[in-house]
Amino acid sequence: MKIVVPVKEVAVLDEEFELLEDRPGVDPDAIEWDLNEWDDFSVEEALQLREAGGDGEVVVISVGGEEAEEGLRACLAKGADRAVRIWDDALAAADPLAVARVLAAAVGRESPDLVLCGVQSSDGVHSATGVALAEHLGLPRVAVVKALEHEGGALTVERELEGGLVELLRLRPPALLTIQTGINEPRYATLRAIKQAKEKPLDVVGLGDLGLEAGAVEAAAGSRVRSMSHPDTGEGAEMLNGSPAEVASRIADIVKDKMSG
Amino acid sequence: MARDPKYDILFEPIQLGPKTLKNRFYQVPHCIGAGSEKPGFQAFHRGMKAEGGWGAICTEYCSIHPESDDTHRLSARIWDDDDVRNLAVMCDRLHHFGALAGIELWYGGPHAPCMESRHNPRGPSQIPSDFEVNTHPRYMDKDDILLVEQMYVDAAVRAREAGFDIIYVYGAHSYLPLQFLSPFYNKRTDEYGGSFENRARFWKECLEKVREAVGDDCAIASRFAVDTLYGPSSIEIGEDGVRFVEHVDDLVDLWDLTVGDIAEWGQNAGPSRFFEENHEKPYTGQVKAGDHTNKAVVGVGRITNPDTMVAIIGSGQFDIIGAARPSISDPFLPKKIEEGRPDDIRECIGCNQCISRWEIGGPPMICTQNATAGEEYRRGWHPEKFHPAANGDKGVLVVGAGPAGMECAMVLGKRDMEAVHLVEADPEIGGCVNWISQLGHSDGNENIFRGTARGLGEWKRIVNYRQIQLDKLKNVEVHTGSTLSTNDILEYGAEIVIIATGCHFATDGLNPATHDVIEGADTSLDWQLTPDEVVKGEKQIGKRVLVLENEGYYMGVSIAQKLAGQGHDVNLLTQMGDIANYMEFTLEAPMLHRDLHRLGVGIHPYTMLEKIEPGVCHAYNVWKPDHKESFEVDTVVLCTQRLSNDELYHELRADKDALEREGIEAVYMIGDAAAPRMIPDSIFDGHRLAREIDSPNPAMPLPFIRERRLWGEVTNQDYEAMLQNTPDVEPMVVAAK
Repeated sequence: MKIVVPVKEVAVLDEEFELLEDRPGVDPDAIEWDLNEWDDFSVEEALQLREAGGDGEVVVISVGGEEAEEGLRACLAKGADRAVRIWDDALAAADPLAVARVLAAAVGRESPDLVLCGVQSSDGVHSATGVALAEHLGLPRVAVVKALEHEGGALTVERELEGGLVELLRLRPPALLTIQTGINEPRYATLRAIKQAKEKPLDVVGLGDLGLEAGAVEAAAGSRVRSMSHPDTGEGAEMLNGSPAEVASRIADIVKDKMSG
Repeated sequence: MARDPKYDILFEPIQLGPKTLKNRFYQVPHCIGAGSEKPGFQAFHRGMKAEGGWGAICTEYCSIHPESDDTHRLSARIWDDDDVRNLAVMCDRLHHFGALAGIELWYGGPHAPCMESRHNPRGPSQIPSDFEVNTHPRYMDKDDILLVEQMYVDAAVRAREAGFDIIYVYGAHSYLPLQFLSPFYNKRTDEYGGSFENRARFWKECLEKVREAVGDDCAIASRFAVDTLYGPSSIEIGEDGVRFVEHVDDLVDLWDLTVGDIAEWGQNAGPSRFFEENHEKPYTGQVKAGDHTNKAVVGVGRITNPDTMVAIIGSGQFDIIGAARPSISDPFLPKKIEEGRPDDIRECIGCNQCISRWEIGGPPMICTQNATAGEEYRRGWHPEKFHPAANGDKGVLVVGAGPAGMECAMVLGKRDMEAVHLVEADPEIGGCVNWISQLGHSDGNENIFRGTARGLGEWKRIVNYRQIQLDKLKNVEVHTGSTLSTNDILEYGAEIVIIATGCHFATDGLNPATHDVIEGADTSLDWQLTPDEVVKGEKQIGKRVLVLENEGYYMGVSIAQKLAGQGHDVNLLTQMGDIANYMEFTLEAPMLHRDLHRLGVGIHPYTMLEKIEPGVCHAYNVWKPDHKESFEVDTVVLCTQRLSNDELYHELRADKDALEREGIEAVYMIGDAAAPRMIPDSIFDGHRLAREIDSPNPAMPLPFIRERRLWGEVTNQDYEAMLQNTPDVEPMVVAAK
């Protein structure tokens, strides 16, 4: 089974950060990069499916600048076979639909049996890229998968719904699933695997390599960021001082007051 | 990051007589084991706090004359000009970093056994010390009083010469001035006894004379126990406590306030097991609250939280935050607040291991949280600076994230090793601390004297601090819930492997008393338990419990306390003369005894088990083995000894070919995995290996400076030549006078 896993290097902000003045964005000094938490689980699920099947290939793909290579190398260290990083300066402000359009071109070239995305990214939190990618690829898709079994060429999938409900589905590949955290126990890479991952293939491709033009990507976008600002700070915070008992008593009074009001 | 403006109040200067304290962080006098005999230790330990932002740092108690000699314990001394020369090194180093230097002039009376000087201490009345053996003071007549008052003056003049800015007349922990003030010690009928004014006369005269001699140049401080907790027989806050402050307020520039006496000074240096942060407030807080002084007040209470500090100053409880233990645990506490990174503060856990070494009488101070405490000079260790390891390109695997493993991985990370992996079998890092920190409670209901059995929860700070630091280190990966086999380790790809897999309790009664197992001991049975099994709660515990305690520290008694608190009938046996001997040194023993007696625990010293049978344990008296006693039991807890989990280490070392084939260059073992020990010693072991990971043979500790007298012509360089590879600590910049 050939599985493609789109992953994202997400921005982790410091407690205090400044916004850029000349364009929407965050001061890069306040940003650290890390692999999206959901993608740890989608990569692990792909690796387990490949190991259970005995053969196949896991390809990780990311749209991002050089910072994305650390996350891709981490996926390679855990056991992914190849990595592809897609970048073009035209993608700097790409929204999830534009990213999905780019990914579609790259994933389509691979003709995978399965595409596993994370449910969402921890920085953007749109939950849009995966489902939009399925649409571009014309694949059946199941969002928010919390359990997955592969037997006899069919997938049995549990989907997490609101209120603790679970939807049970059966489908045949090819398909795209978005994977929820907690579906598995992601492995970690040993020092040896990390070293060996440096030798694994990591291709860097541009839009042209995928037969795309910047205009097509822009046309696929559904939104653009016009500005960013900090929310207004509210007023009326009251600091409570005193012993734990005094503070607890005061809190109880406030809660009673609010509830009766 | 800049500091949060809410902490600005902590950084406001305050005037102390002729001296200006630059901020509100003040290291009150505390012992370290340096005294005047180890000037390098003294100067560099205190200097580290000056570098870390403390506004003033004091010596430990400093004897003013050979007839106040505390040997077998270690004080500083300012008996002569040679002591001046050695203590001046500390003053110079503090001044270099912009801090004030304080000295606590001390005369012990009957509490000074004079085992080195063989002098005879004087006292207000001829009553022996309540804790020393057979030390009777010589009764002081009027001439003796004048003589001792002159000793204070002479010492103060020498202290000024050494460079001290703040000079104490120390009474607090029931030393001579307070002995005169307290009717518990003072039974005199002359003008120095009886009425309050008479009892206060000696202390007042000492302050007057010291002030007259050096008060224009130095701030005059006095350390005073506002309540000795003896009730009407001694000093009570509402009586002589505030009365004395008012009586001599004009003579001091700074009040350093405490509670309790020396015989049970754990009421002052309160262990976290029984006392919470700022626990002295009900006593010391009354002095300013009642408007009894016009002078600056510093007070303590194991205050580690910057918000508590702000509340203390903001509410007018104290003007200055005093700290002994919190300053040992984190010499850079003020700097970390100032730099807007309070989450980096290494908070004191209140275990009192620092104090234990002074109580033992001589060893250098240690700290559970801060492995560099006491090592600033002799090993050249800095708590916050770590030079890059020369072999930083080696991959390191640390197996086990208990105290030793966490510390080792953290220091290796701070030394910029490129890749450190810390792998733990449990779901969380912390090792034994995770269950030990759940001990120390009993029934949770009643106060014991002044504190409560509130447990060892603050010991979890050992884990919290390291967790936060490890999270920040991008070159350290922490993986939990992963058990590694020998083969996993071989194939891991690390060049350096460090085994930190901890230890376990003996399951068969193997013990230090008989060097043998105990017949019938077997914790695989459902009614026999090791201490960790009691905490984990997977085995049913019956009504009648016997706890065998052979370790001499907190474990056996904590189990007895917990189970008695839950309503079990508990008998506690030890082969030693008393339970939990080491807790005498950590000052936890008095409160512990109170709680065990309150709970009705049967305590059986000098008693050992010879045989365990279902329903009954057979014991004997160690001095008369045919004196036997049987205990009917439902459950037995065996706290006899621990054994290292060292299988991985020995398996790895046994196959040298495999190590070579896999590219493993070195295998080390640290902490309890090498030999079970106390937590501070495990943390030290992990820290030591990481500090010396690039030394010629990291398995063997490097030599350290030994500040003993060298025969013949020597220079400071002769001592410092003993030290290698220590670029972290700033060298002495001012030559000793």
